[in-house]
Amino acid sequence: MTQMTVLEALGAAMAHEMARDSDVVILGEDVGTAGGIFRTTQGLQQRFGPDRVIDTPLDEKGIAAHAVGMALYGLRPIAEIQFSGFIHDAFEQLMFGATKYRWMTGGQYSVPMVIRAPSFGGINGGFWHSQSPEAYYCHGGGMKIVVPSTPQDAYGLLLAAIRDPDPTLVLEPVPLYRTLRGEVNDDGEAIGIGEAAIVRPGNDLTALSYGPMCHDVLAVAEQMAENPGYDIEVIDLRSLMPFDVDAITASVQRTGRLVVVHEAPLSLGFGAELAATVQERAFGYLHCPIGRVAAPDLPYGFSGGDEYYRPNKARIAAAIRRAMEFDF
Amino acid sequence: MVNGTSTPSAPTAFLGQPRPVVAPLLERAADLAIAQVLDADGVPNGNLAEPDLSQAQLRTMYETMALVRVIDEKGWQLQRSGRLEFWIPSRGQEAAHVASALAMDAADWIFLADREPGAMLLRGASLQSLFAQFFGRADEPLKGRRLPLLLGDRALNIIPCMTQVGAYLPHAAGAAWAAKLKGDKTRFIVYFGDGATSRGEFHSAMNFAGIHRPPIVFFCQNNGWAVSTPTDRQTAADSFAEKGDAYKVRNLRVDGNDPLAVFAATKEALACTDEQGATLIEAVTYRLGFHTSSDNPDLYRQPEEVAAWERWDPLPRMRKYLQACGYWDERAEAQMQQRCEDEVREAVTAAEAMAPSEPAAMFDDVFAEPTWQLREQRERLLAELETELETELETGA
Repeated sequence: MTQMTVLEALGAAMAHEMARDSDVVILGEDVGTAGGIFRTTQGLQQRFGPDRVIDTPLDEKGIAAHAVGMALYGLRPIAEIQFSGFIHDAFEQLMFGATKYRWMTGGQYSVPMVIRAPSFGGINGGFWHSQSPEAYYCHGGGMKIVVPSTPQDAYGLLLAAIRDPDPTLVLEPVPLYRTLRGEVNDDGEAIGIGEAAIVRPGNDLTALSYGPMCHDVLAVAEQMAENPGYDIEVIDLRSLMPFDVDAITASVQRTGRLVVVHEAPLSLGFGAELAATVQERAFGYLHCPIGRVAAPDLPYGFSGGDEYYRPNKARIAAAIRRAMEFDF
Repeated sequence: MVNGTSTPSAPTAFLGQPRPVVAPLLERAADLAIAQVLDADGVPNGNLAEPDLSQAQLRTMYETMALVRVIDEKGWQLQRSGRLEFWIPSRGQEAAHVASALAMDAADWIFLADREPGAMLLRGASLQSLFAQFFGRADEPLKGRRLPLLLGDRALNIIPCMTQVGAYLPHAAGAAWAAKLKGDKTRFIVYFGDGATSRGEFHSAMNFAGIHRPPIVFFCQNNGWAVSTPTDRQTAADSFAEKGDAYKVRNLRVDGNDPLAVFAATKEALACTDEQGATLIEAVTYRLGFHTSSDNPDLYRQPEEVAAWERWDPLPRMRKYLQACGYWDERAEAQMQQRCEDEVREAVTAAEAMAPSEPAAMFDDVFAEPTWQLREQRERLLAELETELETELETGA
């Protein structure tokens, strides 16, 4: 066990896999000499050389597309997109290239690549830098998506993504990169894609989230636990595609209440999929409508405006209270 | 009308301003630095030396081109009679892809566009397997998941294209780069059209290739038209080849209807992959047929232009060259035509009789292991099919 920040855990996962498997390469803007603008890949080029940690031209589409080709040939590329706000230039390459080769070749070819995208807000970077783009990439088949929110999960999920035989998008929690430090078991153990974590067991309501928001949800749950009947179960989804339907369903069937929290816009956000799925499987167990706490359907924040744009603790608490006090 | 060839008597009904007729660039090949071995009549014109090819290789080249023509005519008929959903004609472009694919070794990787069935034939694909792909049959290498002519087969080192024109160029370049990083000697060729040079991915691929020098031939088949868009509306540049200059990617123009020139240019490009990495070849050719079976070039293209290009048709050109070499005669031609037509007819019959995919097979190969969502959706489809079957049995429908 080692104390690590989220950033250090991501770097440790990449170093571990690069040492274990010579087919793993990293490519992206500023990932080599500079070690990435967040320093996630710090020291890796020195250790593994410029042919395995490759500084590319400023071209997200080109980075994603060349990684597709590398993966078709048998490498396991990790493509870094500098900010998730820049990822959409690669959208077609990811959603109609990387994710379609296996299907369109009848299973003859696969694209075992990872796309790392520093995501989410709270850094006052505006929509150019801070995005929560998961819904776009969940749609249409072929992409796996993981969202770590702790150093251990960052380590274990990135390992899983690198080892996965299909394209996997890792949405990394920028606001937690350096602020969150924790014990990491860095012995090469991956976390299964599609497995949620119950971060706080409870009996009265299920609060579901992923990414940095999990910490706000947990804090609210702890605060509200002082009130009788407010024993809230907090689940960190960790994987969005596929998501852990069994864990969610079992939890809601027990608690009878669900609130979903994410910082992507509300309309057609991932919460809509979660709400629809849960009502299909646990309709008879529900004591109240499923609540959603999300960002408004707006460009992400503005200078100094993230605190009004992102769901905050007050909004999360209000949604939980509405669910608990709901009366048919 | 044979396979979309406009006849001079065909009435034109332009839907917009008619495009001016452009004379074949091949008429000015020397002035335009378009490498050429043969003149329009198949006589070596001293522009570029004849490549060193055996009689057997030359015959393979010609016979493959001729077979592609027969396949194309058959496919067109099948589409027009409603037996094939769609067709992408290759008429006029046989030399460009057959001669370049012939220059590759069997271990080299080919990334196809959509008018190169000859590459599959040269690698040993059977005619039946090609027609099985055109008919979308289950038991073809790609399991019937692609439009007709979007061919490929891993066993042949041939990768089918993303249909978004040119979007796959960096995939080919990335694969070539990976081979170089792994220290393999595999070389690559990727086919695309003139329109693809306007896509961002073309520029991404050129830019990365200039820096990292992957062992690849970027083979642009400039057939004059991207659907209805002619060259002068696609680019203001003097050629498509020169787009490589800014990226320091070696580039050249070659007569794409001259199989000997195409073969020589491709061989030379492959010979310098170690030193130069990539080469961008612009093969100047012409789409004698429709863009696809959904197109009608009479709405945008003048019949005189097509007629002028018929004079540069690669098939008679190559045949005349072979005859002058003493490798071919009328009898060989008649026998080959008969053989091609017989084999194609048999392949059509056999492929058409093959089973289509089971509906639930569409759930296979999305991921290595299906997600729970896909498993559930597949179960729902199977239940739906069962209900349909029961209803049919009950009603006798």
